[in-house]
Amino acid sequence: MPVQIILVPARFLTLIAHLVIVIIIFWSRENSVRACLPLDYSDEEYRSEDTRLVVALSVTLGLFAIELMGFLSGVSLFNNNQALLSIGCHASGCVALLFFLFEQWTCSIYWWIFAFCRSVKLQSLFSLI
Amino acid sequence: MAAYGRQPVLSSTSLQILFYLNGWYFAAFFIAECLMFVYKGVLLPYTQANLTLDVVLLLLFLGLEILRLFYGWKGNLCQRSLALFVSVCVLVPCAVLSVYYLILQTFVLRLEFVLNAVLLCFYGLELVLGLMTISVFLRGNIY
Repeated sequence: MPVQIILVPARFLTLIAHLVIVIIIFWSRENSVRACLPLDYSDEEYRSEDTRLVVALSVTLGLFAIELMGFLSGVSLFNNNQALLSIGCHASGCVALLFFLFEQWTCSIYWWIFAFCRSVKLQSLFSLI
Repeated sequence: MAAYGRQPVLSSTSLQILFYLNGWYFAAFFIAECLMFVYKGVLLPYTQANLTLDVVLLLLFLGLEILRLFYGWKGNLCQRSLALFVSVCVLVPCAVLSVYYLILQTFVLRLEFVLNAVLLCFYGLELVLGLMTISVFLRGNIY
């Protein structure tokens, strides 16, 4: 039984789940921004942290678009290692972002999550091409 | 059995991919919605009538979606325009239900909003591709 029967939907679902969580964090970023700042903060600091988080989330969404195109065009559909890597990265990214959202971690951790999940994926994607 | 030199294959691969992914996505969506209704039912001040309406509409949504995906899948693979047309017709009430869960239901969670928005993207793409595929089938009709 070909293993793609499990890999393709798993890859798609973890990708969409990751995307959904990123969109929700984008939408409710007020709490996250307030978690990053010290207890007494000024409007300036709030706006700069907000901008930084918006930039991080926008870059994430851009890379999602590229990855979705790569998935739907079927270029890496039969490469099992690529699919497993994708599933692993997105699943771990989902869990990390859920913690980020619910436990109100600081914004710098978002960059770590981003760097970890994205750089691994980009490396594998470029090695394919 | 490849139809070499006889008739070209008219089924749309993109539409088939969309149906496949939509099936899996809707399964995940349904499980997520059930869990969210449990969460909302416990936490939010629902009246009995509203909660019953929402849950019954969710079950109706499941039935309609299964019908739509089955007819679309088979219609596309067997190159039958009638089945595909039924699928496109059933897409209309499915889209209405999706919009209901997106904005009109009693309490809308952000997660529900995003999930239904993704589902509506699927529906839009399937509508366009479905109509194009029906026209291809009708033009190059074999039977």
